[in-house]
Parts: sequence; C-alpha cells; structure tokens
Amino acid sequence: MGKGRGMTITKQKTIKRLVSVLAAALALFTFIERAEAQQILLTGPLAGAPAVRKLRLHRKGRLEFAPAVSFTLLDEYQRTILVGAKLNYAFTDWLSFGAWGAFGAAHLPTHLTEQVQGVNASRRATPGESLDKDLTAVNLGPDFKKQLGTMDWVVAPQLTAVPFRGKLALFQSIYLDTDLYFFGGPAFVGLNERKNCEQCNGVFTMATRTAIAPTFGLGFNFYINKWAAIGFEYRGLPFSWNTGGFDTAGGGKDKKFPDNKITNDDRQFAFNQLLTLSFNVYLPFQYKVSE
Amino acid sequence: MKSSPIGLLVAVALGIFPAQSWAQAKAGKVTVAGKAAAAKDSKGVIDADASGDAAASAGTDAAPAAGDTPAAGDTAGDTGEETGETPTGSGLEDICKIDPAACPNLDMDKEAARPLKEQIFAVQQAYALRVRRFELQAGWSVSMNDQFVGHPAPVLALNYYITNVLAIGVNGAYYAPFNVDKDFNAQVRRAARVAVPLTEYQWGAALNFTYVPAYGKFAGFGDFIFHYDAYVVGGVGALSVRPIPVIDPDNRNFAFEPKLAFNAGIGLRIFFNRWFAAVLEVRDYVFNDKLENLSTSTVPAKAQDKSTWYGETSLTNNVQAQFGAAIFLPFSFDYRLPK
Repeated sequence: MGKGRGMTITKQKTIKRLVSVLAAALALFTFIERAEAQQILLTGPLAGAPAVRKLRLHRKGRLEFAPAVSFTLLDEYQRTILVGAKLNYAFTDWLSFGAWGAFGAAHLPTHLTEQVQGVNASRRATPGESLDKDLTAVNLGPDFKKQLGTMDWVVAPQLTAVPFRGKLALFQSIYLDTDLYFFGGPAFVGLNERKNCEQCNGVFTMATRTAIAPTFGLGFNFYINKWAAIGFEYRGLPFSWNTGGFDTAGGGKDKKFPDNKITNDDRQFAFNQLLTLSFNVYLPFQYKVSE
Repeated sequence: MKSSPIGLLVAVALGIFPAQSWAQAKAGKVTVAGKAAAAKDSKGVIDADASGDAAASAGTDAAPAAGDTPAAGDTAGDTGEETGETPTGSGLEDICKIDPAACPNLDMDKEAARPLKEQIFAVQQAYALRVRRFELQAGWSVSMNDQFVGHPAPVLALNYYITNVLAIGVNGAYYAPFNVDKDFNAQVRRAARVAVPLTEYQWGAALNFTYVPAYGKFAGFGDFIFHYDAYVVGGVGALSVRPIPVIDPDNRNFAFEPKLAFNAGIGLRIFFNRWFAAVLEVRDYVFNDKLENLSTSTVPAKAQDKSTWYGETSLTNNVQAQFGAAIFLPFSFDYRLPK
C-alpha cells in the first residue's frame, strides 16, 4: 500500500515536472517567435521610414536609348547575331514602354550544318543514282546553307516593369546601382525560309514572311554613371518556323510524317532564345532622387 | 513540488513579456518617445534619421536606413524609447547649476555643420557572412548547348568557405536516367540521311574553388530588401559518358567511361535569410569526348569488334544551368565589427 502511494506521488511529481518543462519550452518557443517578429516593428524616428530613401531614379521621366547586340542560343543549324537598339520611355521608375528592334547582321552555320553539307556535297559529287540521293531530293539542295531559315529582323513593342532596384559591390572597390527588370510584348519577326511547294524535287527557292510571336524576358542594368548603363538581357521568342528547309511533316498519321511537299506543317515549334548586351544612354542626363 | 509552480511562473512570465512587445505601435506610427529622441539631436542624442540620410547622400542612396540593417534600426528605436522616458533638458540644466565648469558649452549649429568623416561602406555589413561556414547546395541542372541530347540531372554540392570570398568544395550530378534523345535527331536522320554522333552522360563529379567577388542588395517594389551575391567557380573532376549508338545500334553497345573534365562557371545566390538562399548557376564542363565511328563494317564479326566502334575524339563543352537552393551551416554567425 505504502509502496503504491509512493509510486503515485512520484508519478504526480514526474507529471508536474513534465508539464512545467513543456510549458517553459512552449513559452520559450513563443518568446523566440515573438522576438523575431519584434524586429520589424520599429518605433522611434525610424518608424514608417521607407525601405529605400534618397533613391536615384535612373528611369523616371527619362528616355532610354540602348544600342544592343543579341546572340541566339541553342540554334540547330544557324546562329544569328542581331544588331539593333532599344528605345524606352519610363513613365515611372518601375514602368516604361518602348520597343526593341534589330536586324540579323550575321548568320553563322553550326557544326551540324557543316556536317550535313559535307555529306551532301560528297553525295552529289558521286556520279549515278543512289538511294540517298533519291530520298533526300526534296530536302537537300546543292548548298544546304542557302536553304536554312534565317531571322532577318525583329521589331518588338514592349512594356518593361522594374520591380527590383539595388546596388552591387564588386571587389569592395566598384559600386554600381543596378536594377532587375521584366519585359513582354508582341514581336514581329521577318523570316526568310524555304518557300512552300507542291513539286519540290530540285526546287529550293526562298520566301520571306513575317511571323508574329510573343516575346518576354528579363534583364539586368548596371549603371556606370548618371546617364549610362550596361545591360544584360535574356529574351524568349517562341514561334514555329522551318529552320532547315526540310519536309518534316504534313503526311501520315496526325501529319507527323513527310509528304514530299514543303508546307506550313513543316514549321516546327522553336523556343528561340537570345542573349543581349546593350549600352544604355538616358536622356536627360540628370536623374531625379526620391525623398 | 515547489519547482513546478516556479517553472510555470517563469513560463507565464516569458509568455507575457513578448506579448507586451507585440502591443507596440506598428511601423508607420512614430511614438511620442521616438519623436522626442528625434527632436533631441541638438542635445547630443544620435538622430537615426539623420545618420541614414548621411549614409544615403554619401553615395549609398539605395542603402535604407530602416530595412537594411535591422540592428541599427532597433538601436535607434531603443535609443528613442530610453531617451523619451528620461526628463530631457533638466539633466543638463542641473549639471550647469551644480558645476558651471562642467556645463557643456558647444555651439550645436557649428557642430552640426562639421563634415562627417565616418567611413561609409557602400554595402554596410554584408548580410550573410560565409567565412568558416559550410554551404550545402541542392538543385536541378539542365543542358544549355546540346540541341541533340538533353542532360538534365539532380546536383549536389558542398563548399567550405576558407575566407568570406573563397571556398573549396565538391559537386556531383547524376545524369544516367534523365538523358533525352530529342525528336530532332530522328528528323534530321530521316530528312538528310545524315547521322550525328550522340553522347549521353552517367554522372559527373568535381573538386572546385569558388570566389565571390560581388555582392549587393535589391529593394523589391520599394518595399522589402533582399541580398544577393555573385560568384565564379572553377574546378576539375570527371564526367562519365558514352556514345548513344546511332550508326550501328544492332552491333554496338557502349559502356560508360569517366573522362577528365574541367569546369568553369558563374553563379548568383539570392538570400532569403542568413542561411538559406536560392542559387542560379551556369557552368561549362569541358571534356574530351570519344564519338561513335561514323562507318561500320558489313561483315558481322568486324562490326561486333569493339575496337572499331569508336571514331574521332572531340573537345566537348557541356554547358549546364543549375537552379537550386543553398543552406549555410552553421545557421548563425558573429560579425567581427559592429558595422
């Protein structure tokens, strides 16, 4: 009996101690949680202060003119270097409207194109008929490089939003104002690609057309003084086009097989990507400063 | 028995104490005490607003007085609170009455006009120190320059920061189940009757050095601030690769072989707090790839001879973009200097 009472007391003690420890732990946990929240509740002279003061408004009310060079990425047959410019007017420091325009200044064939043309040339140099020649008669002309689809020009009106403004310390000795922006809009793309044909054996004429596609991306600006900045930009420009001038689709089940014709079905969807390097000039030369 | 109520009392006290802090006025409302402190700068009390302005006008315009350095903000707030509770002005007057020689005799306008020679850093007190901390990175990697075979992979990396800007570490990626032979390859083979040698990867691992030359901060929507840094990374390791049989898939079955691979890249880390960050990295792994032989024999015995399967070698760039997260350990650290 006595032993049983003693055990009961011990149990009670243990439970009370356990409850105490749990309560203390809970309180400590609560304390930590609230203490963290306390940090942002500023009182005193800093209360209500904006996150950023005396902000240099590099964009607000200014015209941005940015000569730019763009490089296409992940090209199958041909890389394009586009030279152009961007013109924007910023209504506020975080929103501007303008356009980017560029033309295809250089078209550089990829290694694949060199390989295909190498095989094509040796095949054509071999006299007589062959299965390879017959099967590629619709797809390969005398010079493969001349039948490739090319991006000749692009004009893209676009809205630019600048949600992030900041600064960068480089080697603790160079300090730059920066911003990160997002843009989007429609793009008008001038293409030169293989012309549609019904009887296509030996016919490798080209035709121009204008594709309309969405364009969007993001970029960084690094301001080097009051009126100039260096910009890096990534742009997506997805649309369908016939990059190789091949008869790829149009026949068979779901039109996924060749039909010996060049048609709109042969245009394959491509998520075209570009990297742009620009030198931005802002007018007027003097920026405003926020409160 | 007695210890239990004491523990409960302590727990309740701890619970109540922060609750009082919660009840303070929310940011945006200046308390009377705070106003008093702000107004008292002419009597030797530091005006946090003024110091913030000084920092801003000294070329750190984007440096916020409040959101940037919570410690500074807290201090300023505390100062305001404490000063406000003390009857201001009477202290100085009392001193002057008791000992006129000890009475401060400063021309405050003149003192205020003196140029501040305080050293101002463009980025005050780096948000997250890296020195003597481990960085564990985990993410997903995708190939940026291979139009023919996609090489996505999960990646892991572990770095140790010897200094605040220099780290040594290892990384690894596992590609084997994720290689994607794209439809484009079959379309080219069908249209041009030209086969392009393809390569798939199994795994990659490297020993790397990381250097962090740049760091900064962004204000998002003019409302909140986040910090970031940019780094360059380079190293040496191995990439296990093999050709995908395209020319003679009936007879050829390649085994994975590790190749010496050098890598170099750049990365960007965006800190959500002092130990957790998002990571974006682009890295080029360069290795000497042995490609499939473009010709095969019509004699079965010769076609099955492994010594005839490999063709030319090619210096290959495998550019990978990595998206992931980084965790710094230990979670906390101490600044060497107060600012």
